[in-house]
Amino acid sequence: MTFSARSSGDIIRKASKATVVLQGFAVMLLVGLIFLFTDISQRYLSFQDGVRENALWSVYQLDREARRLHEALHVMLAERDYSTVAVKALVTRYDILYSRINILEKTSFERKFKLDSSVERHISEIRSVVLGKVGFFDALNARGTFEPEKSEAVDDDLEKLVSATESLLVYTNSNVSSERADAREALLALQLKSGGLVILLVGCVVVLIFTLRRQLKSVRLAGLSLEMISNELNEAYLDAEAGNRAKSQFMATMGHEVRTPLNAILGTAELLELSTLTPSVASGMQTIRRSGHALLEVINEILDFAKIEHGKLDIEMRPVDLSSVLSTTIEMVRDRATEQGNQIALVVPQRFKTPAVSTDPTRLRQVLLNLLSNAIKFTSNGTITLCVRELETPQNSILRFEISDTGIGIDEDGLGRLFQPFSQVDASISRKYGGTGLGLTICKQIVEAMMGRIGVESAKGQGSTFWFEIPVVAAAVPVPPANTVERGPSGTLPMLNVLLVEDNLVNQQVAAGFLNHLGQKVTIVSDGCEAVEAVARQPFDLILMDMQMPRMDGIEATRLIRDAEKSKPQTPIIAMTANASDDDRRLCAEAGMSGFQSKPVSLQQLRGIIEALDPSEPEAMNIVGQALDIDNSFATRRAEIVEALGEETFDELLSSFFDDATTLLQGLHEAMAANDYRSADHLLHTIKGAASSVGLQQIADTSQQLRSGPVSKNGIEKLSETVDEFRQRLAA
Amino acid sequence: MQIRVVLTSLALSAICFPIGAFALDQPKGEVVLTVSAHDLGHPNINGTAQFDLPMLEALASRTAEMETPWTEGKVKFSGPLLRSILEAAGAHGSQLKVIALNDYSANVPMEDAAKLDTILATRINGDTMSVRDKGPLFLIYPFDKDASLFNEKYFSRSVWQIKTIEVSE
Repeated sequence: MTFSARSSGDIIRKASKATVVLQGFAVMLLVGLIFLFTDISQRYLSFQDGVRENALWSVYQLDREARRLHEALHVMLAERDYSTVAVKALVTRYDILYSRINILEKTSFERKFKLDSSVERHISEIRSVVLGKVGFFDALNARGTFEPEKSEAVDDDLEKLVSATESLLVYTNSNVSSERADAREALLALQLKSGGLVILLVGCVVVLIFTLRRQLKSVRLAGLSLEMISNELNEAYLDAEAGNRAKSQFMATMGHEVRTPLNAILGTAELLELSTLTPSVASGMQTIRRSGHALLEVINEILDFAKIEHGKLDIEMRPVDLSSVLSTTIEMVRDRATEQGNQIALVVPQRFKTPAVSTDPTRLRQVLLNLLSNAIKFTSNGTITLCVRELETPQNSILRFEISDTGIGIDEDGLGRLFQPFSQVDASISRKYGGTGLGLTICKQIVEAMMGRIGVESAKGQGSTFWFEIPVVAAAVPVPPANTVERGPSGTLPMLNVLLVEDNLVNQQVAAGFLNHLGQKVTIVSDGCEAVEAVARQPFDLILMDMQMPRMDGIEATRLIRDAEKSKPQTPIIAMTANASDDDRRLCAEAGMSGFQSKPVSLQQLRGIIEALDPSEPEAMNIVGQALDIDNSFATRRAEIVEALGEETFDELLSSFFDDATTLLQGLHEAMAANDYRSADHLLHTIKGAASSVGLQQIADTSQQLRSGPVSKNGIEKLSETVDEFRQRLAA
Repeated sequence: MQIRVVLTSLALSAICFPIGAFALDQPKGEVVLTVSAHDLGHPNINGTAQFDLPMLEALASRTAEMETPWTEGKVKFSGPLLRSILEAAGAHGSQLKVIALNDYSANVPMEDAAKLDTILATRINGDTMSVRDKGPLFLIYPFDKDASLFNEKYFSRSVWQIKTIEVSE
């Protein structure tokens, strides 16, 4: 393929060369033809110029006249006719001969004839004889008497004259003939020359045509092969694209798989740190926790990068309170800064001209955290400053964020490598400070997705200033206070009247326990119908609604509740589901739910939901519960429940789950025996929900797996085995 | 061609006709030119028209300076127009046979007389021409007026030492 393209390219180049040569040749031939033509026309001109009397004819006439004179004189002498008439005739003959001499001398003949020396010699000889007789004939004419004695001598001379004129005639004849032959030869040569030139020219044109044809052919071939190459490239590109997609998919899956156990490690570590430990164990614990966090960050970065590379970087605009985002972000890194002996400062205007802007707070925080973490990482015992300014341009208003540090700085070479994927300033950096080298790439992508720009100013040893600018528009709606992570104990929460709609007993107990721990008043109902009845009986401040329930599901119940409260203010309803798909979210929103919470619900998330509700402002319930993007492992779940409800309650919950599970598995076997797949599916759903409620994620996952395909006996056996395995392990 | 010749003859006879009544004078001096034809309009001697030099020089003439192949440089030829001689002789036909003293002859079409100002030169640079100087009469085409006449075709018709012109149909 490539070979054919190259070879046809070669052919084209060769053909072009050949064409150039041929063109040069043709031009030369043309010049030759022009010369030939001028030659011919000049010859023609000289031909015109050479319109001359016929030399041969004149010489012949001379010879003839000489003979006739000689003859006339001879006859007179022989016949002795000396009459006046005869004398007069003789004189006339001489006069005519005389005029012929003049003619020969004065007439312009062919040039060659004149220049010929032997012709000249002949003529002068003849001339001297003819002119020598002038006296004799003049006397003859004057006297009219003929003297035969004198005439005898003249007759002899004339005889010699005749032989002279004859030899001149012969000479002239041969001369003229050879000249004619020469002329013919020259003409022939000329013709041959022009013929040759014309043949060469024709040959040239033929070769030109041939070359052009060949060139055209190879151009066509080259075009075809180029097309084929482009097709191949396209295919290769598609292959590469598919490979890349597979890679991104793999990274997403792997990230998920790695994060689950990592969460368990972190949760356990945190839990252990709460108990009394010996100093050496405590520092070990701290190391485990920090390393775990670092690892989590790395994985998150890789996942983010994979997402960005896959073109899945979504920017969700919503109203954001700038000050609160900035302060919480600073708080999140303050501990780490302090650990490194760094001061951290936030420099913002007294009042922002636009306190609330429309932007993506998650992404903004991500960029800020990344840049701040970098600054902290590369600075020790220094100062990190986050400075935010509002710039006004004629088109829009721009927020400029500057993160300055007094750290190690970056040299010029390093600046060039920044913002490139997987690159760090140098290899020693990655050994000393770690990191994926993806952070800045991600920041750049995010900032660019927000239509902004990012940059850095730095010098080695003089600290660095990373900055980015994003265009913002002022948001009309003031945002509710962001969910705070670092809130004090539950005492600060308002006491709400909460309706918990949940069919699974374990889930009921966990959620109710959390709510009680947070100081909330809880009413529990176990399906949609009961929920609708309960709402009809008394008003609630918050409804936590499970999605899949027997008799009436969460969606239907929400619709009925919303229908019933048309005249009244709406009660916030938060959906709880294990499968947080986009479709589920849409269904929830359509049914009139106020928010969405993926299961299992953590204590922290419940606290966030309740904090977000201010009973005095029921309209401001713009809660979008963040789906937990990490899987709670058993340990963290246990820790959570134990913190809220105490260890005893957790054990109770666990044993009640296993009791339930036995019953449910029994039901499952029966349903399978009766081929009642619907019931079987429902039972599996219940097992899954309950298991994840107490942190038995493996059981939940196994149940979910069974639901995704046709339910098999084997699968149920496996589920039973898993449940038994956990039961034994936890009882021990 | 045929028609043109006829027309030319007609034109010539039309010109000749009014003077047809005059018979040609008898030559007083030496006869230099004899015009003969089958049916001559104005014969003076033996059915031919014979001219001496004064008779010829009395006819309508032309003087012109020109170069010829037989002379050196520009020379001035003067003499009666060929057609005026033929008129005077009352000759009509399509072909002239111009015969020289040495019996050289050339065929000259009547057109050359009718359409061209061809003369029988009697003088060169004002002097009469002896036989030695290609005299006494020299048929001179108007080479000065028409360069296209300057070629061998007309050279061969340019007869000198003319003594007779025979007119034929």
